Amino acid sequence: MSRILLVEDEPGMRKVVRDALERAGHRVDTAVDGRDALERLGEQSFDLVVTDLNMPELGGRELVQEVRKSSRVPILVLTVRHDEREKVALLDAGADDYVTKPFGVDELLARARALLRRTDAGRGVPPFSRWGDVSVDLESRRVLKADREVHLTPIEFALLKTFLGKPGAVWTHSQLLAAVWGTTAGVTNDTLRVHVGSLRRKLEDDPNRPRWIRTEPWVGYRFTPEQ
Amino acid sequence: MKRLLTARWIGYPAALLLVFATIGLLKLVPGLTDSSAALFLILAVFFCAWAWESGPGVLAAIVAGLGFNYFFLPPFYTFVIEDPRNVVTFFVFLVCGLLIGRLSATARVRLRQVEAERRDLAALTDLSQGFLADTSRESLLGLAADRLRRALQSEQVSIWLAQGPGDLSELAATPGVVVQRNLVDLAYRQGNSAAYPSELGGTDIYLPIPIGVTRAGVLVARGLQSTERMAEGCAVLLGLALERERFLQIAREAEKTKTSEQMKSTLLAALAHDLTTPVATARAAVENLQTRIGASDESRLARTELESLSRHVSDLMEVVRLDSGVTRPRRERVGCGQIVEAALARFGDALSKHALFVDVPSEEIAVEVDPSQLTEALGHGLENAARYSPDGSEVRVSVSKDDDKAFIRVFDQGDGIPASDRERVFERFVRLPSTAAIPGTGLGLSISRSLVEMNGGELRIGTSEQGGAVFEIVLPKSP
Repeated sequence: MSRILLVEDEPGMRKVVRDALERAGHRVDTAVDGRDALERLGEQSFDLVVTDLNMPELGGRELVQEVRKSSRVPILVLTVRHDEREKVALLDAGADDYVTKPFGVDELLARARALLRRTDAGRGVPPFSRWGDVSVDLESRRVLKADREVHLTPIEFALLKTFLGKPGAVWTHSQLLAAVWGTTAGVTNDTLRVHVGSLRRKLEDDPNRPRWIRTEPWVGYRFTPEQ
Repeated sequence: MKRLLTARWIGYPAALLLVFATIGLLKLVPGLTDSSAALFLILAVFFCAWAWESGPGVLAAIVAGLGFNYFFLPPFYTFVIEDPRNVVTFFVFLVCGLLIGRLSATARVRLRQVEAERRDLAALTDLSQGFLADTSRESLLGLAADRLRRALQSEQVSIWLAQGPGDLSELAATPGVVVQRNLVDLAYRQGNSAAYPSELGGTDIYLPIPIGVTRAGVLVARGLQSTERMAEGCAVLLGLALERERFLQIAREAEKTKTSEQMKSTLLAALAHDLTTPVATARAAVENLQTRIGASDESRLARTELESLSRHVSDLMEVVRLDSGVTRPRRERVGCGQIVEAALARFGDALSKHALFVDVPSEEIAVEVDPSQLTEALGHGLENAARYSPDGSEVRVSVSKDDDKAFIRVFDQGDGIPASDRERVFERFVRLPSTAAIPGTGLGLSISRSLVEMNGGELRIGTSEQGGAVFEIVLPKSP
C-alpha cells in the first residue's frame, strides 16, 4: 500500500481524486494548499505527491520547488491549461509528471501507478524488457519486433535505453538530449525528432499513431510500454 | 526700437552737457595748466562713451577737443592756435579723446552683450527647469506662455500647435495677444521664422517649434527684447518639452495597458479554473461512480454530456481569451512537421476511427509561429475532419511548400462544404444545417482562423479532388 499526499484546494476535486486513489488501494492524506502540504511532508514520508497547480497561499509550482530542496518523492501535478511552457517549467523545477484537467480517472491512476512503480524499482534499468510484440535485451543489445530482429543505430539504442529507465514518464526535449547526447550543444530538437521518428518506424505498428513512444506536444516524449 | 532710439537721442545732449559742465568747472579753478584741463576733459569723454556709447562718445571727443582749444589753448576764446607746439597738443588730445571714447564704448557694448548672454542663459535654464517639472501637457502649456514671455522679455506670447496635419490652433497665450494667422501658417508650413519691428517696441517674431526633423507648431513672441537666437533657443526647448511630455504620455499609456492586460489575463485564468474545475470534478465523480456501482446508460450519458460541456467551456474560454487580446503569440522558429506531430498527439484520438495518412517531407519546412497556437488551430481542423467524414474513411494530413509559403492541409472524405458557405463557416456559432445532428460548438473554425491570422498566416476551406473538405493553413515560410 502506497502513501499518497493529495494537495488540492477545491473540496469537490479533493474528494473525487481521493476516492479514486483510495479505490485503487492507496492510502491518501490531503492538504488544502502548498503550505499545508509542506507541513505534512515534514511530519511523515510519502511515496507520491499529487498536487493541484492553482492554489491560494503556496501554489503547485512553488510547492514543487520547495519539496525538491529536500526530497526526491515523485510529484504528479494537476494542471488546467495546455500551457506547454508551464509544463516544461514544472518538469524542470522537478515535477515528475502532469495530468491536464479535465482528466479521466484511469489516466490519473495510470500516471500515479507509473510513478509509484518507479520508486519501487529503484534506479536500475532491467536488462530484459518486453511489451506488446517488442522485446529488448539490453545486455546483448538485441531488439525483436514481432519475433524479427530489428537493427537499431547506436543513438536509437541509447534513446530506447533512456526511455526504458523511466517507463511511463515524460521526458522534456532537453532532458532527453542531455541523457542521450550528454550535451544540448549542437544538437537540436529536430535531430531528436528525426531519431525518435526512426525508432518509431522500427518499433511501432503505425508510426503516425504511436502507442509506445508518444509525443507530448511541445514538451517532449513519453514512453508508455504498458499501454 | 523706439526705446533704443530714445536712449540714443538722450545720449547726445547729455554728452554735450557733461563736456560743457566739465569745461565750466575747470574754468572756475584758478591757475589750472592746459595739460591738467586736457586730462579732466579726456575723463569726461571716457564717461560719455561709457554711459552713452560710441555716437555720443565721438561727439563728446570732438566737442571736448574744440572746447580745449577754445578755452585752454592761448589765445583764449578763439579757435586760433598760436604756438605750433599747441597744434600738436590739440591734435594729440583729439585723437586720444576719440580713441578713449571708442575703447570705452566698445568695452561697454561687450559687457552688455556678455550680460545679455548670461541673462539669456539663466532664463533658458529657468525655462528648462520649469518645463521639466511639468509631466502633463495641460500643466506644461498652462504655464508655458507666461514662462516664455518672461524668458524672452517680450510683451505677449502665443503658442500654436498642430492638432492634425496643417490644423494649427492656439493652445496657450498670454492675455490679450493678437497674432497674424497668416504668418503663423507660413512659419509652420515653411519651417522658417519671420521677424519684423513691432508696434509694441522690440520685435514680433514667428518661430516654428522644432520636433526632430518636423515641427510641432509655431511660437509667437510680440514686443521681443531678447535676441532672435534666444527666441530660437526657447522654441527648441519648448519642442523638447512637448516631445518629452508626449513620450511620458506614451509610457503612461503603455503602463496602463500592461496593467489592464495583466489583470485581464489573471481574471481569465481564474475564470478558466473556476469553470473547468467543476466539470473536471463532475467527470471524475461519474467515473468513480461507474467503478463503484457499474456503468449504466445514465452514467454513460452523463459522461458524454460532461465531455461535451467541457469542450464548450474550453472553446468559449478560448474565444473570450482571443477577444480580450491577452493571447499574444509567442513566436519561435519551428518545423511544420513538428506542428503536425504535436497536433496529432493531442487531437489524434478523435481520428481513432479513421485511416490516417501523414505526408510530411523529410526536409523540415520552418515557420515563425507560436507553436501552441498553431497546434490548436490544426487540432480543430483534425477534429472537424473526424467529425464530418464517415468512420473508416481516409484523413490525410500533408505539409508542403512553394517559394515563400508553407502549407499544412487536412483532407477528409466527407461531403465537403459548398462554395457558398466556405466563408460563413468561419463565423462564430455558425453551423451548417446539414451537420446539425453532429455535436459541435460552431466555434472551432473561428478560433482556428483567429489563431492562424494572429501568427501571420491564412486559413482557408476548400474542396479536395475527391470532393471532401480541405482545411488549409498557409504560413509565410521562415528563411
